[in-house]
Amino acid sequence: MRRALAIARKEFIHIRRDPRLLLMVVLLPLIQLFLFSYAVSFDVKAVPTAIYDQDHTPMSRQYIDALEQSTYFHVTGYVNSDAEVDAEFETNKTRVVVTVGHGFGNDIAAGNPGQVQILIDGTEPNSAQAAQSYSAVLSQLFGAKVAIAQLQYKGADPTKVAGLTTTTRTWYNPESRSANYFVPGLIVILLTTVAIQQTANTLVKEKEQGTYEQLIVSPIHKMELMVGKIAPWAVVSALEVIAISVIGILAFQIPFRGSVALFTLGTILYVICCLGIGLLISAIAPTLDAANLIAGLVGILPGFMLSGFIYPLDSVPPFLQLLSYIFPTRYFMTITRTIFLKGGGFDVLWPQFAALTVFAVVIVIASSAAYRERA
Amino acid sequence: MIPVSWRRIRLLIWKEFLQLRRDKLIVPMLLIAPVLQLFLFGYVVGSDITNLRLAVLDHDHTTQSRQASEAFTSTRYFELATTVETEAELTKVMDGNAAVVAIDIPAGFGDAVTKRQPTTIGVIVDGSDGRVSQIAGAYAAGITAELNRDLYGAVGSSGASISRVDLHTKVLYNAEMRSVNTMVPGLLALLILMSTSMVMSQAVVKEREQGTLEQLFVTPIARGEYLIGKLLPYAMVGLAQITVVFLVGSLWFRVPFRGSLLVIGAGLALFLLCSLGIGLLISVLSRTRAQAQQLVLFIQLPQIFLSGFLFPLAALPPWLYLVTFIIPLRYILVIVRSNYLKGSSFLELWPQFAALALLSLAIFAFGLSRFHKQLTD
Repeated sequence: MRRALAIARKEFIHIRRDPRLLLMVVLLPLIQLFLFSYAVSFDVKAVPTAIYDQDHTPMSRQYIDALEQSTYFHVTGYVNSDAEVDAEFETNKTRVVVTVGHGFGNDIAAGNPGQVQILIDGTEPNSAQAAQSYSAVLSQLFGAKVAIAQLQYKGADPTKVAGLTTTTRTWYNPESRSANYFVPGLIVILLTTVAIQQTANTLVKEKEQGTYEQLIVSPIHKMELMVGKIAPWAVVSALEVIAISVIGILAFQIPFRGSVALFTLGTILYVICCLGIGLLISAIAPTLDAANLIAGLVGILPGFMLSGFIYPLDSVPPFLQLLSYIFPTRYFMTITRTIFLKGGGFDVLWPQFAALTVFAVVIVIASSAAYRERA
Repeated sequence: MIPVSWRRIRLLIWKEFLQLRRDKLIVPMLLIAPVLQLFLFGYVVGSDITNLRLAVLDHDHTTQSRQASEAFTSTRYFELATTVETEAELTKVMDGNAAVVAIDIPAGFGDAVTKRQPTTIGVIVDGSDGRVSQIAGAYAAGITAELNRDLYGAVGSSGASISRVDLHTKVLYNAEMRSVNTMVPGLLALLILMSTSMVMSQAVVKEREQGTLEQLFVTPIARGEYLIGKLLPYAMVGLAQITVVFLVGSLWFRVPFRGSLLVIGAGLALFLLCSLGIGLLISVLSRTRAQAQQLVLFIQLPQIFLSGFLFPLAALPPWLYLVTFIIPLRYILVIVRSNYLKGSSFLELWPQFAALALLSLAIFAFGLSRFHKQLTD
């Protein structure tokens, strides 16, 4: 134990001696935290929209007004010919062109539906999707308003105009603040990156610099060496989780609705998983470059892509969904979000905890075996 | 100034390729990594948001309420995960992540429809998942608009029908709104940024670490020659990667190509210059390869977030939106995507080309000048 501590101290000295690396390990998370909290949002409000009014009647004007008042469309200009419509799309000035057809006003006055064409630029599928849905809703609301006005004019009962509407409630994050879902996710991502990458580096580095032999001929036991090498990064990872959580809760007002003890337990389990993965890589990789690469591939890509951090796993093809179950990141992502935002306890999170425990046991056994054999 | 000797440059390039070949890992990695990234991006980032787990809370249990819930579950956007009977059950389902969206059909729904009275469907969205919470509301609104026509439009001939507007929607350039069609062109640019600056800076820092950089400079090789000899191989590697991604994108993901290779080539060449410049700068700033690697990440992340590659720029706060104007990736993305999918030419894309050229030349020149200084230390 004393020897393992000595190794850990040596490791801390290494970390301290490389101020640039330390700066990156500290600064990079902060930049990510900042970017994700302020910069990143999936909001598809204010889609740039151009209007082509072929009708020029009070009725068409009214329709366009309804469009202009909605938050989903941002009217950037008016066009007067088909050629101009093409130019709008090709120069990327607008994503949607709304054409109110000839005779729109007359048709509606006569009780027939007025013709409107919506052209949508599909190159940005998300805003295209939203534009499609919201234009339908908007037209429906407009139609209802006109129908009510017409019935009132005729002296009929306007409540006869009935329709279906939706009210949308967003649970756990009613204002849909992007920081609320990104910051808890980011804790997982940053923890993964630092823990896997740095542990993967640590042993290989000694091997490359030839200092590994020196350590082996010293009285240090192999397992003591392993513990001593990994412990500092476990500490750094833990500090990182605490730092981001505190900054997130205090500066970005992220709610923490669950139990601190449960979150701590989950974090410890997950750190063990990550350190195990890192150690396995360190034992297998022949060079530092290789270690970095493998760490990048198995740690970071699945972390970002297959954890549900940004992209919902429901929509991913089945074989990738299966793949995502192999990596521990998705379980810890669910645990973190559920504890932070939903306040869920062990009763709902036990499957994730079980999966993490199984992974931790397997990876610790596998990595110590690989380490004993290869190192 | 010594005249540039192409023979010396050729030899340097030869040396660089020899070194690349000797590293058993790097070559397969350089060619496999982009394909792997393409697959992950194509299948994960490029997948449309579909099959969201939906919970149905039906207080009504009538034909109409069933028709309403079927309208949701029959689309590819939602997949019925479970039906619940009470609000409490629903909370448990959402807390336990068994569903991310729920619809709440009130009691008396069917009655209201038959009597042609207004009614409403509650949509509950899990706000802990950003992507879901943003798009599910839009999906639900679209489905309801259609459902409205089915439920109310069919009944009334009394003039109370509310379909006063006939909407013809047409999606251009990407009719099925496939995300992967946007992702693949964008990846062409992103891969150049990711691999060129990384590999390039690693190569220079490695020579410095191993002390072979000094050896090279006591030879008659001029600095300019050294730089060209060092840059060209990695430019070629970048080109090979683009070709691979382009082919896989077209053949496997069936992304239509409507543009011209000339326009895309010109844009990517400019952007390559910019990436090489960034690589040079990183190699000047780092002492070890680990530092270089961290620095690459440090520089790339803001670019990815502030370029419109993953997230719409329109949603940025105004002061951050200003920052995006100095990010070269922003311009090349517009160029590649518009040319790829819309066939836009230099004529429409000249503002982006001008901005990209300006930024790339500036970054490259800056990298070059710093590199020069470093060598004379």
